[in-house]
Amino acid sequence: MIRTRIASLTAKFTRKSLRLMGKGATTLPGKLALKISPSAIRDLSKGKNIITITGTNGKTTSSHMISEMLTSMGYDVINNISGANLASGIATTLICEKGTGKGEKIYVLETDEAAFAKIAGDLSPKVSVVTNLFRDQLDRYGELTYTRDCIANGIDKTSAKLILNADDSLVSSLGKGREDRSVFFGIDKECMKSNNVKYPAKKGVLEASSDAVYCPDCNAKYEYESRSFGHLGNFRCPSCGFQSPKERFGIIYDGGVSPSMDNYPFSIKDNASGKTENITLKIPGSHNLYNTCGAIAAVEAIEEILKNSPNDGEIFARACDAQQHVKAAFGRMEKISVGDKNLCILLVKNPVGLDRSLSFVAESTDAAALMLCLNSNFADGKDVSWIWDVDFESKAEDLPDSVYVSGQRWGDMKLRVTYAGCNVTDSGDMSKVMDMLKEALDKCPAGKCVYVLPNYTSMLDLRGRLVNELGLKDFWK
Amino acid sequence: MNKLVIGHFYPDLLNLYGDRGNVLALYRRASLRGIDVEIRSISVGDPLGEDDIDIGFFGGGQDSEQNIMASDLIEKKGPVIKNMIESGKVFLCICGGYQMLGQYYREHDGSMLTCLGALPHYTEGKKERFINDTVYEFTLPSGEAITVAGFENHSGRTYLGEGEKPFMKVVTGHGNNGEDGGEGAVYKNTFCTYSHGSFLPKNPKIADILIEIAMKNRYGEDYVLPPLDSSVEDEARAQALDYIEHGKEQMI
Repeated sequence: MIRTRIASLTAKFTRKSLRLMGKGATTLPGKLALKISPSAIRDLSKGKNIITITGTNGKTTSSHMISEMLTSMGYDVINNISGANLASGIATTLICEKGTGKGEKIYVLETDEAAFAKIAGDLSPKVSVVTNLFRDQLDRYGELTYTRDCIANGIDKTSAKLILNADDSLVSSLGKGREDRSVFFGIDKECMKSNNVKYPAKKGVLEASSDAVYCPDCNAKYEYESRSFGHLGNFRCPSCGFQSPKERFGIIYDGGVSPSMDNYPFSIKDNASGKTENITLKIPGSHNLYNTCGAIAAVEAIEEILKNSPNDGEIFARACDAQQHVKAAFGRMEKISVGDKNLCILLVKNPVGLDRSLSFVAESTDAAALMLCLNSNFADGKDVSWIWDVDFESKAEDLPDSVYVSGQRWGDMKLRVTYAGCNVTDSGDMSKVMDMLKEALDKCPAGKCVYVLPNYTSMLDLRGRLVNELGLKDFWK
Repeated sequence: MNKLVIGHFYPDLLNLYGDRGNVLALYRRASLRGIDVEIRSISVGDPLGEDDIDIGFFGGGQDSEQNIMASDLIEKKGPVIKNMIESGKVFLCICGGYQMLGQYYREHDGSMLTCLGALPHYTEGKKERFINDTVYEFTLPSGEAITVAGFENHSGRTYLGEGEKPFMKVVTGHGNNGEDGGEGAVYKNTFCTYSHGSFLPKNPKIADILIEIAMKNRYGEDYVLPPLDSSVEDEARAQALDYIEHGKEQMI
């Protein structure tokens, strides 16, 4: 503990110094602290209420939702919302973030999948959410089954209540042998059946293949009664019988109306209490139905633990109510007003993310133009060939007529979009991106929206340019 | 209307790094020439006849996924595929698909994976992976050398056997093994490469060669592939080559 105390002091001093220099200081203080005291995370986590969120997509959005919900319910929430989700960032958050001092403290920590395996035991979270597992920069993360096993190892070092996506075979299999502490969420099975697959593959072209369609235990191909997207769906292994578990929290929605609209109305059923709550989707997009439901399940779980109360539906009702206070986070479905038009930036980092965002734009009623930005810096993954894994073909007809392409690898993206059947209006590297964006906004009718889908570093680049050239300030906070 | 059938082998298992882009490229460049193209999925348990398809495509997969299809490939479809290759059927095989058509794959820990043995090459696994943008030189049937852009991501080092020739010459990157300057393999009309993703989309001349051979196989030697515009493809390749040569890691 002495070492950890010294480590904490060092981290706090470093943070202050860095902040004076105008730096964010979200990871370096924690990095130093862990150097001085390798057990810092364990020592600092003792006695704390911690929720971890891990998985490929939706970590930041889910953490953000859970944080806003708990805050509105009167808790003092501390999180690593700046996305510093490795051990260093989490140590920084545990040491340096103070909270408001009002209400019981809860730490909401977004945790990288690989980091989770290493630090889950030290963090000993009370609640642990696993959103989904999709292919993401395989050269950095390795194979999906490996990632799943890492998470399983991490989980086994904790006694956390597990909030698991029932429709994701890789995630729901984490509940095997851990049934007593698993809570499943997903799309209500009957509802999924009636809304089966929105975008069938374009005629003549094989559908883009999804991951994990074979049972890892039997090597038999899963049979799907219905699907939502990617490999998510109501699956069953014909060999061992493992199937999408009955969800406690089930999403019920009308697939005839697009979840791309603001305040999309849907409901969630708590199968434990039998109660159904009607809510509106605060961050649009069909994948956010999952994120919302997972967030509600996490809030319910932490409250049941802290209040030691039964699941009689009362917490559920309050959690659903709190969900209505959630606002979008930057780069995640937020619309920014530019004069009488809108600009919407959707960060896309991997095939399923781009697939979902394209569906979102294709289904939205206000899309005037689409811009895609593709960089290949280290943080993005050097390999851009994943854009060919995305099913552009089935959505091309519903995308706006004006398509712009930018980023370091604009040529690759232009070719991809062209092969899908879209006409590219203009293209060029990031030095040209603002000119193209201004043109798109100029041509955009009042009340309509220009959708920009950048990958990670092109989003950071674009963010800087928007601040400098359009005078938008701090809108991502 | 002329017809072309593309057989995509194990698309639900061998689907890394955008390999399906190659199938989309064959589809597009043949369709735009008025050819009626059919893409057929040929996966575990599916039947395969020698004359079912005109072009066969194998992509690369994750280890766990390659384990699922290996026995189906070797025991069930193997004999048919070997006959197809010998009779001059067109195949394109990327990375894992390339390795699996060979004799064996020896992992860096010494364990041996049996492969189909349709082609004489073999592969040694090493710890260090070759992951980078690549530039190759390819010699067209006319003798003209063209520059080809790709991306490699593999830990296997492949060594060619008798009767096989390198598909291309390495300009930037590692190719088959990082030693002999060769990239990929050609045997009769079977083409193998380590180049992932948008290999055929960005290199349309190679896509056209595959389509033309397949059409000649089906309609006779007199078949001539009609010309087709390649300006977007050529622009994408030029931009990629420019980025490979001049692009810098950008610190943001």
